[in-house]
Amino acid sequence: MAIITLPYRYLERLTGTDRATIIDRIPMIGADIERIEEDHVDVEFFPDRPDLYSPEGVARAMRGFLGIEEGLPVYPVRPSGITFSVDPGLADIRPHLASAVIRNVDLDEEAIESLMGLQEALHWAVGRGRGKVAIGVHDLDAVTPPFRYIASPRDYSFVPLDFDREMTLDEILTDHPKGRDYAHLVERFSRLPLIVDADDQVLSLPPIINGELTRVTTATKNILLDCTGTDKKAVMTATNIICTALAEAGAAIETVTIDGEVMPTLAPTRRVVSVGECASLLGIPLSSADMAELLARMRFGAEPDGDSHVRVLVPCYRADILHDWDIFEDVAIAYGFENFDATLPATSTIAEEHPTTAIAGAVRSVMVGLGYIEMIPFTLTNDRVLYESMQRSPLPGTLRLLHPISEEQTLVRTDLLPLLMEMLQANKHRELPQRLFAVGDVVEDCVTYKKIAAVSIHPGADFSEAYAAADVFCRELSLPYSVTESDDPAFIDGRRGDIIVGERIIGMFGEIHPGTLNAFDLEHPVAAFAFDLRAVPGYPAPRGTPSPDER
Amino acid sequence: MELTLNEKRLLVALGPVGSADAATLADRMGTRREAVVQYANLAGERGLVDVEKHVSRQYTLTEEGQDYAGRGLPERQVLESFGDEIPMRDLQAHPLAKIAIGWMRKKGWVVIRDGVVQKTGDAIPGSDEVAFARAGDAGAIEDGEGVADLLRRGLVQEEEAVTYTVSLTPQGGKLLAEGLDLQEEVGTLTRDQILSGAWRDLPLRRYDVTKLPRRAYPGKTHPYQRLLDEMRRVLLDMGFTEIAGGIVQSSFWNFDALFQPQDHPAREMQDTFFLGERWPLPAGYERVRDMHEHGGETSSIGWGGTWSAEKAEQCVLRTHTTCLSIQHLAEHQKPPVKAFGIGRVYRREATDPTHLAEFEQLEGIVMDEGVNFRNLLGFLKEFYAKMGFEKVRFRPGYFPYTEPSVEPEVYVDGLGWVELGGAGIFRQEVTAPLGIEHPVLAWGLGISRVAMLRLGLRDLRHLYRSDVEWIRETPIYGGRR
Repeated sequence: MAIITLPYRYLERLTGTDRATIIDRIPMIGADIERIEEDHVDVEFFPDRPDLYSPEGVARAMRGFLGIEEGLPVYPVRPSGITFSVDPGLADIRPHLASAVIRNVDLDEEAIESLMGLQEALHWAVGRGRGKVAIGVHDLDAVTPPFRYIASPRDYSFVPLDFDREMTLDEILTDHPKGRDYAHLVERFSRLPLIVDADDQVLSLPPIINGELTRVTTATKNILLDCTGTDKKAVMTATNIICTALAEAGAAIETVTIDGEVMPTLAPTRRVVSVGECASLLGIPLSSADMAELLARMRFGAEPDGDSHVRVLVPCYRADILHDWDIFEDVAIAYGFENFDATLPATSTIAEEHPTTAIAGAVRSVMVGLGYIEMIPFTLTNDRVLYESMQRSPLPGTLRLLHPISEEQTLVRTDLLPLLMEMLQANKHRELPQRLFAVGDVVEDCVTYKKIAAVSIHPGADFSEAYAAADVFCRELSLPYSVTESDDPAFIDGRRGDIIVGERIIGMFGEIHPGTLNAFDLEHPVAAFAFDLRAVPGYPAPRGTPSPDER
Repeated sequence: MELTLNEKRLLVALGPVGSADAATLADRMGTRREAVVQYANLAGERGLVDVEKHVSRQYTLTEEGQDYAGRGLPERQVLESFGDEIPMRDLQAHPLAKIAIGWMRKKGWVVIRDGVVQKTGDAIPGSDEVAFARAGDAGAIEDGEGVADLLRRGLVQEEEAVTYTVSLTPQGGKLLAEGLDLQEEVGTLTRDQILSGAWRDLPLRRYDVTKLPRRAYPGKTHPYQRLLDEMRRVLLDMGFTEIAGGIVQSSFWNFDALFQPQDHPAREMQDTFFLGERWPLPAGYERVRDMHEHGGETSSIGWGGTWSAEKAEQCVLRTHTTCLSIQHLAEHQKPPVKAFGIGRVYRREATDPTHLAEFEQLEGIVMDEGVNFRNLLGFLKEFYAKMGFEKVRFRPGYFPYTEPSVEPEVYVDGLGWVELGGAGIFRQEVTAPLGIEHPVLAWGLGISRVAMLRLGLRDLRHLYRSDVEWIRETPIYGGRR
């Protein structure tokens, strides 16, 4: 998540109001306040609003929301005369480039830090970790236009940022800290993207690192911005957000020409939206004038178009407006969430519980009646617990995680009994007898279904206790069953039974094998049973199943 | 004042002597000393007897001491085994020579000259020998001269002896003088006594009703399950139909159908548990594809780019229960639909006290003609109120598949406003490809957050790896925290 640091003094100056008002109202435009400090506040903004990732962007929105300055912010652009060419060889590597010139910037250390912060937040939210978009800012006066965006051989060398010697592109990928962080984005290409000036001096190796030559310092007066990436729209969004933020801070924006295309225009996009659709979605009475007024507070250009529509100009920095409803949400925010009268609709509906939870409920009441305590174990477990300790061989239908996060959780449980054994182990120091049960989902061959298992540990736990409990369970759940001798290795031979309903083995019971007791470090006999609840009358048939990947 | 039979018997036994130690009384009453002490304490509480406890040290023979008992200390035994003198070499054949020779010399009974042991004629028993003899006769002796030496030699050991002296008080004596009914009291009623009417004349023993027997523990559902059931009950009461579904879902249902862009960070392997399995796309998936690529037939512009069917087929452990809601809507396009589900969801997170890789999520949806944002807030308010959160407020929020989106906050005493769940109206990009024509209100919340508030938990792992003691001690009905 993007957490933005907002210094009060700067924000107050830009917004034209006091800090208390800002802190009070900021959550109502869509933000979480993380920390309130002496001289600044840290605020988390949502990933769909990268235009709020700078104090300038926040001030722009707050001015509108507080009624200080409403309507579309207009950013004049003049041509800089600077041109770029894009090497067609980049088409499959990193095809898109956007750029702009930003003049008369006034950067102190704090402003540079803020600009870097915006850049990093955009890398995260819009750039998807620099793959989709990477942003570079340069001291324009250190280099000579025209500029070229080329696919360069990897043995080309320059001095990257934070180094004092030339390195080849290959060396940068392996030896520069940023190279190591981002090499995965480009290392598969034989040529790498490079931005060079008229004298072949390197500005940037996108998306990895800039050249030391164009480092932005407090002495920098004019900035050249480059945004490169794999998605044209995203590259333009990042450019617009940075340009308009710097323009809010007082800089002048100039266009560049890239292979004949002049950018950035910083021009709004147009939409005509329905007042009726908005009013009905939000449940509030609205006229087209009301709606236009509310939208103006959200910094849209908005004019009534008769009674039924509003003509909207969407600012170029608003990357989140995909659909008319995105505009309606802004109407709701301007209206104030606290001003909505929360009301239930009149429609009446009849509730119904899901058959599987109804069955699970019946199971619980039987088990509680038998004196058992319920456990709700994790569904993720591992081979050691699920199979090895139970002396069972792994089921072929076991679902395994491709990228587990710990050795404890590598697969999805196919049975509950092993997890209850683990619970007994964890509760070894507690008073006996302990009788535990669990009812819950297991997954086999990608199909999710419910099972139940129960264990009883105490010096007198034996086969009879297990059988008696299993018998109660079957009788109470209307399962006519028969019993045959089981071969489940988790139980003692000759003291284990399979429960058969219809033709299928749907459960087993008996005395747990001492080898299994040893594996779980238990010191007393355990009587246990386990059932597949699909056998219970009324259990719904499974949905469609995925096919195992044939790799 | 109703005495137990045993107290009465104690008073009777004490009568002739007035005072006696518990062991003596036990003999007289034909019971164990411990029992006498117990009766005496009861009678003592009533002021009928005084109980005095004496703790004394006494000394009994050790195993080695027992070996010598009756035969004398080793030096005495060896001294008596020969005449006036004996060559050292011969004397060493005696099994106790090793211990005895040193002591005989030390006590001045013998001298050794040129390898010959000669008696000095002086063999007066020392205080240790006298004490040892006493201990051998009596089994135990009090502390006294010589005992310390025996203790050092490991021949006796110290023991703490507790004796009780029970004496009749004047009040007890008075009661005894008035005469006591010594008829046998009855503990357990028998079937015969009940049926025959004999119970009418039976003195039923009185029990100490304040004394708790061994605790019993009932079978119980898990406290967390009770919370889940409470939530289910609230939603059923509000007319919602319960839905459930598989833990394994295709990316299509988990992400794509919810308009989550294919390059969204949540779809990367560091956030989601991906599986090797694939799930074929449902009929009509092209409408979802079109929505992603260019917004389909709605006012949306879509995400742009190229949508990958292959990416949509890859299975995941569901990251939210919204994948169940959307499939339910796909199968129930006719309004009204009111549905909820509670299910385990998965995030690829390292486990710590406040983060788990799996946890429960609750989700509710309402689809009907003309339902709106105010109705969404209405449902949220009602639901939270029924869960005991009376004060609710709403802030703008962001969720990829809802627009508008809202973050409800509830007021919790001691904590202030706490964010609890998220809600919104499903984007048209989500509903249009499924042929749903009316707004869908949706909200969800992570139940573990509520569980922490309600069950007073600090560590979420305790929900899933529970201490039996915690479950035993958590009341089934506890009101609300």
